[in-house]
Amino acid sequence: MRRFSLTRRQLLSATAGAGALGILGSAVPLRGAHAAGRLTVRFNSELDSLDPGYNVGGSPDNDILWCINPALVHFAYKDGQLTWRPTAYVDHVAQADPTHIDFTLKPGFQWTNGFGELTAEDVAYSYDRMKTSEWKGFFEAYDRVDLKDTYSGTIVLSTPFAPFMTATLASGTGVILSEKATESVGGKFTTDMPATCGPYIYDWKQAQYVRFKRNPEWAGEPPYFDDINAIFITEDEAAALAYEAGELECTRITSNTYARYLKQSPPHSKVTVAGALQYMWLGMNTEHPKLQDLRVRQAIQHAVDVESVIQGAYSGTAERSYGIVCPGLPGKRSESKYSYNPEKARELLNAAGVSGLALELKTLNNQERVLTAQIIQANLAAIGIKVTVLPQDDGPFWEMGQESKGDTWKDLQIWIMRYGAGADPYEPFQWFVRDQVGIWNWERWSDDEFEDLYKKGIQETDVDKRSDIYIRMQEIMEDTGAYVWLTHEPEVFVHRDTLHVDFAPSGEQQLLYFKDL
Amino acid sequence: MWIYAIKRIGLSVVIVCLAALTLFALLHLIPGDPVSIALGPRATPEIQARYAEKMHLDEPVVVQFLIFAGNVLQGDLGSDVFSERPVALTVAEQLPYTLVLAFAGLGWSALIGVPLGCFSAVRPNSLVDRITGVFSVGTIAVPSFLVSIWAILVFAIMFRWMPVIGGGESGDILDQAWHLILPAFAVGLGWVGYFARMVRASMLEVMGENYIRAARAFGLRRRTIVYRYALRIAILPTITLIGIGFGTLLSGAVFAEIIFSRPGIGKLIYSMVLSRNFPVVQGAVMVTVALYVLVTLLADLVVAWIDPRVRATL
Repeated sequence: MRRFSLTRRQLLSATAGAGALGILGSAVPLRGAHAAGRLTVRFNSELDSLDPGYNVGGSPDNDILWCINPALVHFAYKDGQLTWRPTAYVDHVAQADPTHIDFTLKPGFQWTNGFGELTAEDVAYSYDRMKTSEWKGFFEAYDRVDLKDTYSGTIVLSTPFAPFMTATLASGTGVILSEKATESVGGKFTTDMPATCGPYIYDWKQAQYVRFKRNPEWAGEPPYFDDINAIFITEDEAAALAYEAGELECTRITSNTYARYLKQSPPHSKVTVAGALQYMWLGMNTEHPKLQDLRVRQAIQHAVDVESVIQGAYSGTAERSYGIVCPGLPGKRSESKYSYNPEKARELLNAAGVSGLALELKTLNNQERVLTAQIIQANLAAIGIKVTVLPQDDGPFWEMGQESKGDTWKDLQIWIMRYGAGADPYEPFQWFVRDQVGIWNWERWSDDEFEDLYKKGIQETDVDKRSDIYIRMQEIMEDTGAYVWLTHEPEVFVHRDTLHVDFAPSGEQQLLYFKDL
Repeated sequence: MWIYAIKRIGLSVVIVCLAALTLFALLHLIPGDPVSIALGPRATPEIQARYAEKMHLDEPVVVQFLIFAGNVLQGDLGSDVFSERPVALTVAEQLPYTLVLAFAGLGWSALIGVPLGCFSAVRPNSLVDRITGVFSVGTIAVPSFLVSIWAILVFAIMFRWMPVIGGGESGDILDQAWHLILPAFAVGLGWVGYFARMVRASMLEVMGENYIRAARAFGLRRRTIVYRYALRIAILPTITLIGIGFGTLLSGAVFAEIIFSRPGIGKLIYSMVLSRNFPVVQGAVMVTVALYVLVTLLADLVVAWIDPRVRATL
């Protein structure tokens, strides 16, 4: 066996090498994301399509559209309430009455690729085509645009539709296209826009990035950043690491990371809750034999300790919900009629003559939902209900309450569900009307007053009256006993503390309004 | 040799066909309606109908497979359900990144692992050999995703030496090489151990052969004996391992690609599975399978060409 030996020369060489590495390491400048005039952010999913009539919606489609194409209004917040603001493209936009919205564009904005000037005809074209597009549901009340002159017009609605300014015009569906350019490519497109007209032009590389550069033809006030680099990073934790390494200036984070940052955030960083347009609840099948008795369902309502769910599954970072209207929207409830009361729960079960009840609780198989299910399992065990938690993969989960997918809905008992809402309170209620029984209304109930209020809420333009309508609708839902309201999961972002950020309520980044403080 | 090559090529074609059939069957055995899963409750009926039509979900499964197979034979891997981009174009854009990562990962691990194995083999049971053995087994045991995260925490977050995300600026070779270092390190570290152990074992076997003893008796230098006589035979199993390793890394690099947000086939497949974009999944997996089969075929042919004993038996 050879003895290991180290000469003096070898030792000195090794030490010098290690020292050089250390010096080199400390001398290598931080390869950070922040360079003057440049912004580096993240998109959490791949770009699908930029055609507002034929995309899936959400981020990053809307994020990109708002940077490169005109719109009449964008989302804004005022005193914590969601509203809208006129964009840089308009001199004037206002809702004259419940069915008329006047607008006047600023002259001089040119479409790229030689497709001429932005005019009111482009507005009319864009919205007319939405009536027959895949997003026509948002334009059901839209009738036409009456043109006054080259730059002015009036949007005419066939019936009052209170959410029109926010849910329709401020979101991606309200983006304006060039009529000439769109028709030149056959009336539809996907990721290659035939013409843009915004402060930025874009360059896209699939699975890598979208880059925005200043549009040399832009006639308005120059955008703050010279260029914006949006990198596709699908994993939230990987994005958090990239942020901590200094390669991103803003990124969405998970609730776990949020909880960690609440204790200690990265240096020079700030955490912003963009919105909480998700509502999660424990649902109960009112037609299942074990749950047909209202007292049994009410017992479950009183047995679930929602605060322990928030602490246990969300590390205290989620907001407790009292209904399906999300924070920042009219109709958001601040309390429910039931409260955590195991004693009352037991009384209700006794009154119903039920003992030894066993239920199956189904949930999506992710960390937060499974933890939530386990906490509810423990809560219900405390009142004598034995719960079996059945985590489900995406596939079977999204079908289990749908009549068109088989008979699974008949065995469905209780489950944890989360839907995403839009920028107007009417949106979540559409899934719980009578027509949705067996589709997305898995609780399988209906109510005439609820149906009537749904129609009234869409047409009512007074904010306070709408709020009352939606509060009453949530009370009706709660009175069915089929719902235990859980949380509104927030969309949380971490960003450098010298960056002013601006988000749409469902977490899309309104990059045009980002700037250095 | 030619007959052997033709037989291997024919076998490879059969393997690819079987893989295509299996893949197709597996994708359609995934429970759940892909439309609902992909689009959720907010998708309009029109979007759902368009999606189902694009994916030919209204056709019988056999017809769907025949459509797919027919298109593949014509070089058409279908189109992305959402963006309508040709799958072949998408795969062609992502594949080079994975190939480069696999080459780099295996390359540096072979550069380190093979000499390490030789070093251990010529000093069996020494302290160095034992340390090398522990190091080799240790690197094999640590999963690449853990190495990726550890590398990011140390080199990117703590020391800020290396970039974390992306594949580097297009057209900037140096920048792309800079972005390649940590991912290649992460995917290659385990292979250092594999190569070292494989080469050591092969070398020990070969070093005991009579002709090696004869070479020593003739007074040849140890370096000449090790690298010109022994390694030439001992490296053969390693060549096969490199072929298998390359094929494995084509899909196995997915962890590194996701953690480093690096473009590549693995990350593409992962993203498309999540969004139930079946045409892209099918196309990307088919290309990966074909490449894997091609690489192992080449490895077998190289071994047959190098080793006269194999040629003699053909």
